[in-house]
Amino acid sequence: MGGGDDGTESETDGTPTEAETVRVASGIPYPPFEMMENGEPTGFDYDMGAAIFEEQMGREMEFLDRSFDGIISGLQNGNYRVIMSAMTITEDRKENIDFSDPYFTAYQTVAVLENSDISSKAGLRGKTVAVQKGTTGAEAADDLQTEFDGDLTVSRYDSSASAFNAVLNNQAVAVINDNTVSAEYVNQNDEELRFVMGDGVAAEQRDDPPEYLTLSIEEYGIAFRKDDDEFRERINEILATLRENGTYDDIYSTYFAG
Amino acid sequence: MSETGTGGPIASDETFRRLGMAAALVVALSVGAFLALLFLSGHVIPGRQLINYGLLAELAQPSSDYYGAYINILQVFLLTAVMSVICGVFVGLGRISKTPLTAGIARLYVEFFRGTPFLFQIMAIYYGVPAFFEPGTFPLTNFTWPAAIVALTLNHAAYSGEALRGGIESLPTGQMEAARSLGMSYVQAMRNVVLPQAWRNAVPAVGNDLIILVKDTSLLSVIAFPELISQFQYTYSQQFEAWAPLVLVGVFYLTITVPLSALVNYAGEVADPSRRAEP
Repeated sequence: MGGGDDGTESETDGTPTEAETVRVASGIPYPPFEMMENGEPTGFDYDMGAAIFEEQMGREMEFLDRSFDGIISGLQNGNYRVIMSAMTITEDRKENIDFSDPYFTAYQTVAVLENSDISSKAGLRGKTVAVQKGTTGAEAADDLQTEFDGDLTVSRYDSSASAFNAVLNNQAVAVINDNTVSAEYVNQNDEELRFVMGDGVAAEQRDDPPEYLTLSIEEYGIAFRKDDDEFRERINEILATLRENGTYDDIYSTYFAG
Repeated sequence: MSETGTGGPIASDETFRRLGMAAALVVALSVGAFLALLFLSGHVIPGRQLINYGLLAELAQPSSDYYGAYINILQVFLLTAVMSVICGVFVGLGRISKTPLTAGIARLYVEFFRGTPFLFQIMAIYYGVPAFFEPGTFPLTNFTWPAAIVALTLNHAAYSGEALRGGIESLPTGQMEAARSLGMSYVQAMRNVVLPQAWRNAVPAVGNDLIILVKDTSLLSVIAFPELISQFQYTYSQQFEAWAPLVLVGVFYLTITVPLSALVNYAGEVADPSRRAEP
């Protein structure tokens, strides 16, 4: 017998019964991945979980709100079966838990004015870029500053809207930010703003890189206990199915612009 | 029972003095206990070091970005201090003008810049002014500095102007009348007789406003001006350490405001008309 005996799901090794409820832990709120709406959980992760466990496996899903900082130890203690919480796959975390195949990819992108002459990462050297304080975009800008030996000014704004306004107002040549958030601004102002195109980190690491330049990649995975391989492989198959049958794109477009 | 005078005072002078001393002691002890807990937390609560002294030492190194931010706020303070006091003279003169149009406009100016938050004014200038231009065509590519200087000057000119108006109005009207009766024009009388005296009256209020000006530079963090609060936010988001950068930022502000306050007190004593009247 493995661990994971928590009363709600008493799976015996290798033979999970399809009728059992799957307990999913998530650090709510982290919109648009997980948030509460009228007292009910919702978001990209919630919809993905429902598609995987309810539609594809025919099981019940219980979506639990757990604090993100203790969410991994709760998984190891067997309080729930999986974590779906916009969790970035990292080598550190892999020492304690296993991840599904990536089900979401976030890129750090560069957005500029439509008529800007910047067409590559090197074009940012010596310029000013705008970021939102405390984001992974700000970290990517810091890394770029190091790469340019300090020859880059990073202007830090309180909100992503202010960072984009700085570009529209000629205070910075580019915004470095998450592709999902930036795509909303670029789509809303498609006559004024565009992404810098070209190969970046994504082209080195992935077969199907996006067209825009990527400075860094974060991949989100569903987290499992180390001893839950069979369940994890089953869910990897389902993730592939959801990408093929269009369910993934439907859920994606519900929450993200591009 | 026997010693209470007419009107029944709530406390005798001696009781009042002792109560005041007790209250001051309670405050001092509370603050002292808080500071001791903060700075010695590692010894008081095991495993709970509130100030990361290693990080504090790192942030205080000469190569740290905090010094750049400190120089920036010093520069913007010195520049806007001079400009806002100069502009304040004109605002003050406008406020005491006998010409209704001038006085009305000066009054509207003061009402607006005293009546809206500085945060609103800096946002209106930094985000609002470039909105008049088509995207990407705003000509000032480093608008942060001009916006900061203009906003601080406009705001503090209103306060300096009011301080100077107070200084002028506290002078006996006879000063102006006597100067005019000697054949001086209004401008001559104002420049040679009224303003030098009014200025002395206004020194404490203007000085007080300059101290507030130093602190108002912290609000420039919303326009990505590289100042101390932005530096704190950066360290905090990177290291998740609040107290080390907070201590450093607090010390930096005090190195400007404490000497400035001493200077203002000194200037106030030198300019005190009652001392001048002696010889």
